[in-house]
Amino acid sequence: MRLNNLFTSKRLRWFAAGIVLFNGFFPAVWIFFTSLKNEVELTAKPITYWPQNPVLTNYIAAFRDQPLPGYLLNSAIVSILSMLLSLFISALAAYAIARLNLKRRNLILTCIIAVSMFPLVTLMVPLFEIMRSLNLLNSYVALVLPYTVLNLPICTLILVSFFQDIPRDIENAAMIDGCTRLGALWRVVMPLAAPGVFTAGILAFVNSWDEFLLSMSMNAAVAYRTLPVGIQMYQGEFSFPWPTISAALVIALVPVVTVILIFQERVVSGLTSGGLKG
Amino acid sequence: MIKCAATSCLAILLAGFVQFTAAQSAPPVPVNLKVYVGGQQRPDLMRELFAQYSAAHPGVKISLEIGGATSELNQKYLNMVLTAKDATLDIFLIDIIRPAQFAAARWAEPLDAYFGKDAEAELSRYLPAYREANTVNGKMVALPALADSLFLYYRKDLLAKYNEQPPTTWPELARIARKIQQSENNPNLQGLSFQGKAVEGAVCTFLLPYWSLGGEIIRDGKTSFERGKAEAGLEMWRTMVSEGIAKKNVAEVGTDDTRKEFQAGKVVFGVIWGYAWNHFQGGADTRVKDKVGVVKLPAMPGGKAVSCMGGWNWAVSAYSKNKTEAVSLIRWLSSPYVSKQLALKGSFHPVFPAVYQDPEVLAAVPWFADALPVVESARPRPVTPVYKAISDALRINTNTVMAGVKTPKEALDEIEQRVARALR
Amino acid sequence: MSQRSLRDRILDPSETALAWALLTPAILFILAIVAYPVSKLLFNSLFDVRPALGVPITFVGLDNYATALSDSMFWRAVKNTLIITFVTVPGALVIGLGLAMLANMPFRFRSPIRLALLLPWALPLAFVGLIFAWFFHSEYGIVNDVIRRFGGEPQIWFNSPALTMMAICIATIWKTSSFMALILLAGLQTIPASLYEAAEVDGASKWTQFIEITLPLLVPSMLVALIFRTLTAIQSFDIPFSMPGPGEETQTLAMYIQINTVDYLDLGYGSTLAVFMFMLSMATTFVYLRYVRGDKD
Repeated sequence: MRLNNLFTSKRLRWFAAGIVLFNGFFPAVWIFFTSLKNEVELTAKPITYWPQNPVLTNYIAAFRDQPLPGYLLNSAIVSILSMLLSLFISALAAYAIARLNLKRRNLILTCIIAVSMFPLVTLMVPLFEIMRSLNLLNSYVALVLPYTVLNLPICTLILVSFFQDIPRDIENAAMIDGCTRLGALWRVVMPLAAPGVFTAGILAFVNSWDEFLLSMSMNAAVAYRTLPVGIQMYQGEFSFPWPTISAALVIALVPVVTVILIFQERVVSGLTSGGLKG
Repeated sequence: MIKCAATSCLAILLAGFVQFTAAQSAPPVPVNLKVYVGGQQRPDLMRELFAQYSAAHPGVKISLEIGGATSELNQKYLNMVLTAKDATLDIFLIDIIRPAQFAAARWAEPLDAYFGKDAEAELSRYLPAYREANTVNGKMVALPALADSLFLYYRKDLLAKYNEQPPTTWPELARIARKIQQSENNPNLQGLSFQGKAVEGAVCTFLLPYWSLGGEIIRDGKTSFERGKAEAGLEMWRTMVSEGIAKKNVAEVGTDDTRKEFQAGKVVFGVIWGYAWNHFQGGADTRVKDKVGVVKLPAMPGGKAVSCMGGWNWAVSAYSKNKTEAVSLIRWLSSPYVSKQLALKGSFHPVFPAVYQDPEVLAAVPWFADALPVVESARPRPVTPVYKAISDALRINTNTVMAGVKTPKEALDEIEQRVARALR
Repeated sequence: MSQRSLRDRILDPSETALAWALLTPAILFILAIVAYPVSKLLFNSLFDVRPALGVPITFVGLDNYATALSDSMFWRAVKNTLIITFVTVPGALVIGLGLAMLANMPFRFRSPIRLALLLPWALPLAFVGLIFAWFFHSEYGIVNDVIRRFGGEPQIWFNSPALTMMAICIATIWKTSSFMALILLAGLQTIPASLYEAAEVDGASKWTQFIEITLPLLVPSMLVALIFRTLTAIQSFDIPFSMPGPGEETQTLAMYIQINTVDYLDLGYGSTLAVFMFMLSMATTFVYLRYVRGDKD
């Protein structure tokens, strides 16, 4: 009985919520504070949290030293395109694996997952050769294609798992109504698997957003540089200007946070009315 | 009709003749040279220089590709594209530790053939150590561009206050530092700051006392490790830490940490590269303006004063399609004129002793007078294609000794093992 | 039935034909991007390939593999990788599950909670390591500051391999628990509320509901999350690279592969190490996949 009360007690909920908030926000808040500090203050003892004399010079430097908006745009384009392409291809593949009469399903699934088992660094030189021979270096395509392939495993697996959860009767009902198989996939199954679709989408997006090695190798030109590579350029040979880099990170976080806030409703609540439950 | 045919023939001949002469006097086919420079190598200054060259050499267009911010990132990128035999880059600016690797991998075009009979006259103008560092197996593979060295920066105000002269040996430095630390009564004042973090600078940390005692890493392509000298060197650093002259967490101290702490006035002696000077004199929040002197690094007892050489060099890609023009460009970029420009505008250290003593340069950068003897005492790190593996062996193990995780003996065992495998 | 016209076969293909048609884009993409690099990798592992040293490419059979097995640095890298895997995978699962359940609760301030959940995702991975390295700095880091304020003994974290591993695991769990939470949250959404209602009516406590309803129905999502979390843990690179311990004591397998491949340009040995990593990943995946349940009919 006491344990039961423990879980429902309001105080525990607030405490737990507090932990979640702290866990998620703390490093971001720290970066924000750092972006307002002077370099010297970072090595002051005892260490300071809120800056003693907040300054905005770091933000000016962040924009001045590197074409930050350009980097953001490139990252966004590459991430969105590879996310959409991944979702499309993996939806088709996941449907085949989850629904259709296919021998050796597990083998196929394993082969797809096997793609993520090779560390990217070992595939780099041949990949670079491929892109170069196709004259695709320093372009969006050079990144979108590999990122799509790298995201295929996780997107496929998530979608397989969600597709399997949807009862067959629903599609059969749709097909009796005159839908083709593929029509059933797009109009019935995908919407019902919406939480899975959005989850896979966000994961594909963030994986592409984070990627550093391929981007540095393929798109070395400033015009096509993506964010992780771009932020690294603020460094000096020996120096690591935390205040400027923090400012750049804050600027880089704003669009991503906005996107997250817009889409988090969709991620968390699927279409839970009718159809599936009860 | 014959008149018609004759006129047409004449017209055709005339047209051909005009075209022929036009082709003879037409400007040469424009050449596009692509130069790869690190993000922190003052690409803005480089652009100015390239504009000057293009103006004087019509038909040669130069474009800049800006690479990663650090030497490491540059190298990873170049390693990858050159292994894939990429031909888009004509010229690179490479770190002083790379020419040997570029030569062995045949990524750099050997330059001797292009110099012709001017070779000796031109090449002997450089600081000898730089010429040596760029000559691999008797072939010149890169031309020196920028020089650098480790300096001993010291607080001349503090030394003057306690009536001390800059030290010439490490024990003397320890004595002076201890005296100042005790008398100043400032618990945050470090006597000595050096690199214990496993960055490239830690290779120099290892080599400074070792070289001072006459040790070598490679002789004639084989390891020639002298453990006694190496142990003495590592012990010297450990004593600095155990006596409180250097901080306990020196294994966390990287190059810029030393610079920042010195700039904040917390250090008496600092072992740092040349870039620090401008920060000390002109940086924001500097507390040591006009209080800094530079001097040669101390020697081990009974040894010589040596320093570790840094710097950058111009190389031409072996895959380039415009080698002749590229070599002409780097010969110009590596000339005393350009060296002087870079010194005046970017405070880069020249690679020619003559330029250090140029009155204009001295007027703009007076500390070069003190810097020259230090730069002349600098030695290149082991010139071998497998330098990266050797660098890792030395800096990793120096770091573990400074962190107290390994004893010097264990560290040296591993160094010997790894260097041997690297040279296999 | 087997005499259908071509037109009919295209417009209404049999299941197997359709399945393969749907799989084709994925297969094509994978082959185009991955086939050449992977085959080159396997090829290189059987040769001595050191292009930057002017050494001719020679066939060495399984020599590279033998060298790796007797290489103490290889085993150290494997050990470190396994430590990270065995600590951060369950760690991220537990914390991720907690975070997911909290985000699923009806709570007045849902948006900040969900933002807090996803924010670790938004920080580029390369910088998470650097940020935590700064947090654990012995002089200027907040971890030691907090320890000092509580009267404890501040440590030089990066002077000790054990403490460094602890710091690396904390940073990794922080970053990846969001990943787990995201997938588990989507899974939680598919559990019908009616099941809980029925359990309430039967008088089951919240804890029992959790054990009997939530966990079993979350198993599919957990497996998906675990497979990829494990694969990424085996390939840990960015965070351990940015938070180096003393020397190379905390080097992971991915770091060792990178050094050999990109820095030393020992492509033969680097490829061999990558094959070992592949084998490790494959073994783990097989174990997991045996538990992925079949189609629900």
